[in-house]
Amino acid sequence: MSFVKRRHGGPFMRGFVIAGLIVFVLWSAGPVIWLVLSSLMEQQALIAQPPQVVPSSFTLDNFIQVLSAAAALGHGIFNSALVALFSTAVALAFGAPAAYALARLPVPRANNIAFLILATQMLPGIAIAIPLFIAMSKLGLIDSVLSLGFVYLSFNLPIVIWILRGFFMAIPVGIERAAAVDGAGVSATFWHIVLPISIPPMAAAAVFAFVEAWNEFFFALILTRQNAQTVPLVIAQFAGQYQTVFGQMMAAAVISVVPVIALAIVFRNQVVRGFADGMTKG
Amino acid sequence: MTAVELRNVSKSFGHHPVCRDVNLAVSEGDFVTLLGSSGCGKTTTLNMIAGLEDATAGDILMNGKRVNELSPVQRDVAMVFQNYALYPHMTVGQNIAFTLKMRRLSAAEIRARVEKVARSLELSALLDRLPAQLSGGQQQRVAIGRALVREPRIFLFDEPFSNLDAGLRVRMRAEVKELHQRLGVTSIFVTHDQEEAMSISDRIAVMNQGRVEQFGTPEEIYNRPNNRYVAAFIGNPRIELFPGTLSGGATSPVCRIGPIELQVAHRFLGCSGKVELGVRPEHVRLGDRGFPAIVRLVQPVGPATHVTIDWEGGSLTASLPGFVRFETGSPIHAEIDPDHFLIFDRETGQRL
Repeated sequence: MSFVKRRHGGPFMRGFVIAGLIVFVLWSAGPVIWLVLSSLMEQQALIAQPPQVVPSSFTLDNFIQVLSAAAALGHGIFNSALVALFSTAVALAFGAPAAYALARLPVPRANNIAFLILATQMLPGIAIAIPLFIAMSKLGLIDSVLSLGFVYLSFNLPIVIWILRGFFMAIPVGIERAAAVDGAGVSATFWHIVLPISIPPMAAAAVFAFVEAWNEFFFALILTRQNAQTVPLVIAQFAGQYQTVFGQMMAAAVISVVPVIALAIVFRNQVVRGFADGMTKG
Repeated sequence: MTAVELRNVSKSFGHHPVCRDVNLAVSEGDFVTLLGSSGCGKTTTLNMIAGLEDATAGDILMNGKRVNELSPVQRDVAMVFQNYALYPHMTVGQNIAFTLKMRRLSAAEIRARVEKVARSLELSALLDRLPAQLSGGQQQRVAIGRALVREPRIFLFDEPFSNLDAGLRVRMRAEVKELHQRLGVTSIFVTHDQEEAMSISDRIAVMNQGRVEQFGTPEEIYNRPNNRYVAAFIGNPRIELFPGTLSGGATSPVCRIGPIELQVAHRFLGCSGKVELGVRPEHVRLGDRGFPAIVRLVQPVGPATHVTIDWEGGSLTASLPGFVRFETGSPIHAEIDPDHFLIFDRETGQRL
């Protein structure tokens, strides 16, 4: 059997791989498909057993309702965008130099420091939720968009540092040495050489951080009230005490994921390259 | 005047010594090559000269001044790297201009100098291309251009041709040599390719396990190697070494290898002991005189034919000019001019 044939397998193997991929895609995309379908269905059709997924039960009413009462959702989207952009931008601004220092500069015990940074991500959220809540209450920082942004920054910074450190470590040392011989100091090398060639991993880290902040629910729930509510909290409010308006809830959810999906589509090439580089070279 | 001098320079990575007591003096305008197999410390030595690595001990001097603590820029060196190390996001023009930009030269001067260098290296048509759009040879030329545009006091080359194919390597070698002849800038070149080193250098430092085994002209290194290592490293086909016993005698010194006695040069009169006899392939003559042998292998390579023979001492390769026909398995005699034997002390490896 030729090498190419062995690599691609026979018809049985190909069929098996394709079937596996279809199951995987359905498994992953199923909830998203159901989210979109249910946002387009009438409440009655949705709560019927089994749900009536027929063309006659499709409607845009849920979207119309959500958008006509758009103040809460708009406020939530605005807050989410604010905290996500803030925590992502600041995490990149501080995380990239930190990652470079840990990857390349003679920082004593750089590996231990990097591990400690990673270790902060190993704590379950609930472990820090209560002390964080108490501290923020005492400081009067509850229900503030900025303070929620800082909390998300503390989650995003370690992720950004880890993604970028792996990439920076994989950059050939020769390029930086050439820059040193060309007269660039550490900061000029970072600014003129390292950063411009690190756009894909920066994009990957940015999208990852942004999505984390955009979707976060638990800390937003305990650290905000009305003013600083983010999108996930607004969506959750469609679940009332006596009745949950599933269709509107799903329509709101669809609207809320549009920016995230748009972001992923716009930066898809950079994100894939960024993560692939980190995996193969890091 | 000495442009670069290394005095007892050593370098260790942790407890692992890479360079040990390296002493080297490179005269102004010389083209010096650090030659050795991989891991011998030649690139580390070059990096220490460049200021990219700190010496663990010893002094590095440039024009008589100690420069150990100076940065690469303060040392006024330019370097061409093994894998070119071009900035992938910058065009050829930007790559060459980067060092001038770092020196805050005016835009007009940068443009003038970049254009001048590009013309001299035939890169003018490629100034707007990215490195990924260039061939290996073009990339190497950009790397040289980037070094050239600085007009530095010292050029450093770290195995610059190792990624090029054989033909291009020979061409680039000639270009660099011509460049050196034209500019006369002191150059230090690192390679593991002995033929490259021989063809390009004014002087060669042969390195082994972090030490300089010999520092001399290509002719000295080839004809008068200090020791067995240098003799074996230089030359293609390699020198053949045979264990034997030297008996100085009163009138005619000989080296006995098995039952065969080979006459050696008169300067070995009075010498005796266990030695290794070194024979370069081009010094072997085949015909009907000398010691008996059997032809084992005939390899014509164009300018020469390498003929491997079996004799009492083992096997020996003769390099004969042009195409020569021999029947494998046929008996033959081999003869070596006594003056061409290289004789090494078997214990110390030093040439006698």
